[in-house]
Amino acid sequence: MKLPAILRLSPKAVPYVLLSPFVFLFLVFGLFPLLFSLYLAFQSWEPTSGLNSMSFVGFDNFVFALKDEWFWKSLKNTGWLALAAGVPQHLIAIPLAYFIHTSFRRLRNTVVGVYFMPYITSSVAIAILFSSLFSTDFGLINIGIKTLSAIPGMASLMPASPIDWMNDADNIKPAIAVLVFWRYVGFNVVLYLAALQTIPDDIYEAATMDGASRVQKFLYITLPSLKPMIFFAVTLSVIGGLQLFEEPFILTGGRGGSDQAGMTTAIYLYRMAFDFNDFGAASAMSWLLFIVIAALTLITNRAFRPRSSAST
Amino acid sequence: MLLEPTTTTKTKTIKTEAKRVIYGLLLWGVAQGALAQHTLTVAAYPAVDEIVKSAIPAWKKLHPTVDIKVVSRQFVDHHTAMTTALSTSAYLPDVMVLEVGYLGRFAQGGGLEDLSRPPYDIKRFQTRFVPYAYQQATNRRGAVVAAPADIGPGTLLYRADILAKAGVSEAELTQSWDGYVAAGAKIKLATGANLLSHARDMKDIVIRSGILPGEGLYFDNQSNVLVTSPRFVRAFELARRVRQQKLDARVGTWTADWNEGFKRGTIATQMTGAWLAGHLNTWLAPNTKGSWRAAQLPEGAFAAYGGTFYSIPRGAAPERKQLAWEFIQLMTMNREIQVSAFKAQDAFPALLEIYDDSFFEQPIAFLGGQTARLGWRTAAKRITAVDVHKQDAFAEEVINTELDKVLDRGKDITIALADAQRLLQQRANR
Amino acid sequence: MTNQPTKSGIIAPWTAYLIVAAGMFIMLAPFYFMFVFATHSRTEIFSLPPPLFFGNDFINNLKILTERVPFWRNLGWSVYVALASTVLTLLFCSMGGYAFALFDFRGKNLLFALVMGTMLLPSFMNIIPTFMIMDALGWIDQPKALYIPGAASAFGIFLMRQFVTTSIPKELIEAARMDGCSELGIYGRIVLPLLKPALGTLALITFISSWNNFIGPLIVMRSPEMYTLPLALRSLQSPVDTEWGALMAGAAIATLPLVLLFVMTSRQLISGLTTGAVK
Repeated sequence: MKLPAILRLSPKAVPYVLLSPFVFLFLVFGLFPLLFSLYLAFQSWEPTSGLNSMSFVGFDNFVFALKDEWFWKSLKNTGWLALAAGVPQHLIAIPLAYFIHTSFRRLRNTVVGVYFMPYITSSVAIAILFSSLFSTDFGLINIGIKTLSAIPGMASLMPASPIDWMNDADNIKPAIAVLVFWRYVGFNVVLYLAALQTIPDDIYEAATMDGASRVQKFLYITLPSLKPMIFFAVTLSVIGGLQLFEEPFILTGGRGGSDQAGMTTAIYLYRMAFDFNDFGAASAMSWLLFIVIAALTLITNRAFRPRSSAST
Repeated sequence: MLLEPTTTTKTKTIKTEAKRVIYGLLLWGVAQGALAQHTLTVAAYPAVDEIVKSAIPAWKKLHPTVDIKVVSRQFVDHHTAMTTALSTSAYLPDVMVLEVGYLGRFAQGGGLEDLSRPPYDIKRFQTRFVPYAYQQATNRRGAVVAAPADIGPGTLLYRADILAKAGVSEAELTQSWDGYVAAGAKIKLATGANLLSHARDMKDIVIRSGILPGEGLYFDNQSNVLVTSPRFVRAFELARRVRQQKLDARVGTWTADWNEGFKRGTIATQMTGAWLAGHLNTWLAPNTKGSWRAAQLPEGAFAAYGGTFYSIPRGAAPERKQLAWEFIQLMTMNREIQVSAFKAQDAFPALLEIYDDSFFEQPIAFLGGQTARLGWRTAAKRITAVDVHKQDAFAEEVINTELDKVLDRGKDITIALADAQRLLQQRANR
Repeated sequence: MTNQPTKSGIIAPWTAYLIVAAGMFIMLAPFYFMFVFATHSRTEIFSLPPPLFFGNDFINNLKILTERVPFWRNLGWSVYVALASTVLTLLFCSMGGYAFALFDFRGKNLLFALVMGTMLLPSFMNIIPTFMIMDALGWIDQPKALYIPGAASAFGIFLMRQFVTTSIPKELIEAARMDGCSELGIYGRIVLPLLKPALGTLALITFISSWNNFIGPLIVMRSPEMYTLPLALRSLQSPVDTEWGALMAGAAIATLPLVLLFVMTSRQLISGLTTGAVK
């Protein structure tokens, strides 16, 4: 059936038509906040006085941010957390997705579903649950550790006294990393599983007939085919990790924890804007963070350089 | 074309009729205006929203045609939404409820109406309010940006049974800070209970004593940093002593561990707002009913924990500001409303003239029948307001961090306070 | 079960299953507690050790919940907004992703960079400018303020572009063109079906993100009847007086539609869709 002439587009016009709804929305709702934030970075603004109270201060906010101890501290925290939470996620999600893909038939949905549950759970619930779990004397995590140290041979690996997760500056970071890992590993499993579906079975069959072992198939067929999805998922983890906000917010009650050990840059930004009422500095910092994330995303891009053709 | 009547009588009749119709319409319009339904929007948070809602019947008696719409959000969300509304002057409520922690920042900004000016003239009511609450609503330029509704007078709640077991009297506990710590050691020895939940609580009170005129908590009026002054040194030293002698439970407030500490009796005292007694009774530790008593804070310290204020945004609809002001007067200066809020929500009134109400003399069962409200009433009148500085929230954070380092890592106090000084100096003038 | 060594080949088969099962236990545990807490009063929840088994306060918690917030209405709004958001996002992002992936046009890279750029700024920084826009448009307190802006999702377009690049060869499009298929026909009849796993993934993620989003509604909604679930649940929290039991009950109920959705779409994602079309 031929479409009416008006709907028959030339290949040249197609991208513009297809993109126009998206671009339109983007210009209205995405670009304006972006530009506003950029403008604000050069102003000194205390929000409750109203829009008219903004005053131009040039690069003052940026200079302040770069000289600010807490800003650098937050960047370090962010980097540590992004790595500590991000790396294990992918190292575990890929083999896990592969294992689920190959070893479960009827139970597949259930298994993946269970791993995906944490992603669905709302922050409100997680806040209460995890503060309960991480409690020093009665939290189940410490109880679990205590039980594990009762197993002969494990005692030397376990700490002697209950770990103070929430209050001690050294422990809050691992606690946050654990929470982030818990929350997103299932998400990555789902992504990788979706990608694994697109690898045709015949390639595996051909390899089996050639006598390839399971490990070889994984290393030489699966991994390379997954490369685009790995690029995607890792990019998301880089961006998400560097913008880490919710999980540290939940565990530290929005403050960043003792000695600001759990204060990521995003949390610091939030506090600058809404607790310390310094919107100009907050905007400047968000742009500095932007530069960091953009740089790292570009590096990830270069490292993976996705293939242009779609042949697997 | 119609033939027009030419007789003068007919024209006169038409004119009269027309006049009647026009007058009728005008009257109808005026009547509509008089009966017009206004709606006052009041923005609040739990549990103040309950207090506002319960005042609606009384309001309706005064203004039957004016409805009250309560927009309630979670505590932090509310203040974020208010910041947003003030920043763009859009969708501002007619009456804005603010908690004292946020009042300082909003007061400096200039987004709230100065109630000391006509037509509000709150100054004529000044003596009706608890002095420090009125002070808290006054900003540096002398503008009074809000009216106090309720306050949180600080008190020392302690376990009488634990103290008895350790042979410590209330006087010993509250005579001086050194005495407080010494009593704590005795309590630990005899019962194993911790004196307090966190050493930080003690630091918080001690730094509030001995503030000179012209000084705020962390900064003075010229934005000089005050954190190396003697009251800070003393506060840190006391806190360190508490930690070294293992007298604090090292739990943060409102955590499950803290809660459990009350239930199990491992925390012997808590410096807090008077309202905590109500919470302990209702859900935190109802099993400990009767074992607690309330005393004044040690060494004659008087401090406030919380407080609710009502304000009018400058950018709100001008035609409703007078109504908004009347509503605020109802909430803050009406005897029945204040007393019922006290009884229903434990909202300690800021209105002095009801301090003679018999409710104050009622024994409180949770506190073993003690008539604690009398003590709190005294405390309320003796609290002094502290000047607020824009960087106070940041300063609090810095000081808490340094304190943690002193307590957990054994950092030297002088160095810690010097580091804090340095950090705060960088931002004092932003 | 056939002998199935894992990637390293060192661990025995049953160990792998054990590890996966242990993982499942860890993933589920907090979730389980959420449902357990939903059936207890707040005194019990806040105690240590926390309750391990179901209690009998669920009805009571529901009562408190529905008294304090118009819960079912908020649930309805959440469903409506999430559905609308998902449909629009799928439509706009698949069209956009396809355009970015397989066509060349002026300003392509700049535009994509700008779009990705919006992903790099924390969302709470947009509170005030978004509020200004919504106010100017007159969209305050209206659900469309929640699902229309989100349709221009940077994540969505990124995902779609990735999938199109890797799963749809240019030759296929060329072939279809030569066969006389119209451009929109190619999009509708060839590209979309091939994108099913990606569409399913994006649908799921968009729905969940819309469902759990509270910053958007916080900015835009002013009446409690118009709140979505996260905001409604948050309004149960008070600085000192939170009804934890009711909160957990609400949070538990709020999770159920997501679970249902996952069960429905997982067939799309996981039951496998071969790329036979490539041949």
